[in-house]
Parts: sequence; structure tokens; C-alpha cells
Amino acid sequence: MEDTPNTLNYMYLGFTVFTVVMGIYIYSFYSRWKNLRQQETSLQELNK
Amino acid sequence: MSKTPKLLMVLNVLSLILVLVGYYLALFYAPTEKVMGDVQRVFYFHVATAWVGMVGFILAAVFSAIYLIKKDMKWDMLGLASVEISLVFFFITIVLGSIWARPAWGTWWTWEPRLTTAAILEMIYLAYLLLRQGIEDPEQRARFGAVYTLLGGLSVPMTLLSIRLFRTIHPVVIGGGGSETMGMTDSMLFVMFYSIIAFTVLFVTLFWHRIRLGIYQEKVERLKSEIYN
Repeated sequence: MEDTPNTLNYMYLGFTVFTVVMGIYIYSFYSRWKNLRQQETSLQELNK
Repeated sequence: MSKTPKLLMVLNVLSLILVLVGYYLALFYAPTEKVMGDVQRVFYFHVATAWVGMVGFILAAVFSAIYLIKKDMKWDMLGLASVEISLVFFFITIVLGSIWARPAWGTWWTWEPRLTTAAILEMIYLAYLLLRQGIEDPEQRARFGAVYTLLGGLSVPMTLLSIRLFRTIHPVVIGGGGSETMGMTDSMLFVMFYSIIAFTVLFVTLFWHRIRLGIYQEKVERLKSEIYN
């Protein structure tokens, strides 16, 4: 019977990739929202 | 822009809790797989993100069909939201699969049917986002997007069925039978189905946020054209 291989580092890598990619995507919502708000404000000022 | 709806705030919290519990179940509750060791734990997120990604691509095809019938721009927005989120989930699926493959198959990547069709699927929808940006007229862009997404949708069943239609080293997770099956215990199956539910809720939450972002984007674009035209 073979021993279970030590693949802990790959597991850490997998969960890190998930967390980082999802984190960046969720941050992009905040960033895009903030950009739109800035654009809206400057357009409204231009429209006055 | 209107305030965040209460239901969306509930969904935000619910998604966070469900995903955090998903981490706990995958990392601590699920037993260690004897042949592959701890790397097998990424399998739960791999399957769940694949599920959500594929459902999202199919949804996008449905929204596109409705757009072509009704010519209402809101369906284009729904299709775009669906594709964007699915691309992120499916990208994670491919990377997690690759990380899993390294110790299991001895290579990060191999051009076998499932991996190849998955990579093609991802590239088809990545091209969709890039090509959309090149079309100025919103209606032309929506029409192009709808036809493209409908055709692109055909690659989803192709990817899904590739492990049954062709000879492949990729395991058949559900209903496979034979030596390729995962041989999962009840607790492993529980974590897998839990992850699928948790990621589906996360998809719904992100989808709602993306639609709100799309509506806001449209509002700013309208304001811009009012000023400059």
C-alpha cells in the first residue's frame, strides 16, 4: 500500500488562486462603480 | 444611482457566509483523498466554478435569443453580465484543474479533449468581450453579441460531453462508472454539492451587482451623449 503523497503546496496554491482572482473581480466592481460616479459628477458639472 | 436593495445586501452577506463555510468544509471537513492527497480538496471549488460558469454561458445564450426576438437592450445587458461572470468562474476552473493535474497527471497541461474544449470555450467568450468593444453602435453591438453568444453556446454541451464522447484521462465525476470515477465518500459528495449551491448563490449576487453596474454605465453614457451631441 503506497503512502498518501504530500500535495499540500498545490492545495494552498489552488485556494490562493481562487481567493485572489475572485478578490480582484469583486474589487473591479467597486473600482468601476467609483469611476462611473466620478464621470457622472463631472458631466453634471459640465451640464450646469 | 439608487441605493443597494435590501435583498441584495442580504445576498452579499449570505454569499460571503456560504463561501467561507465552503472553504471550511473543503479544507477541514472533507477527508483527505488517499491517492492524490490534499490537492484533491481544490476539486470541490473546481467542480462548483465549472458548474456556475457553464450555467452562466447557457443563460447568456438564452438572454441572447430573447434579445433577438424582442430587440430590447436590457436582454443584451443581461447576456453581457452573464458572460463576464462566467468567464471569471471558468478561468478559475481551468487554473484549479491545472493545479490539480500537476501532481495527479504529472503535467500542468495536456491537450486532451476536456481541457482542450474548456480552453476553447474560455477563448470564445474572451473574444466576445474584446470584439464587443470594437463596435460603436449599441444596437449593432447587441445584435452581434447575441448571435455570437448563441453560436458560442454550442461549445458548452461540447465541453460538457467531451469526457463521454472521446477517450480522455479527465475523470467523470457524476454517473461515470468504471475506473475513471472519483470513488467519493458521502462526506466528499456533501462538500461537492454544498459548494455547487454556495457558488450558485455567489453567481446570483455578482450577477445582480453586474446588472446594476450596467444600468449605471448606460445612465452615464446617456448623460454623455446629451452633453456632447
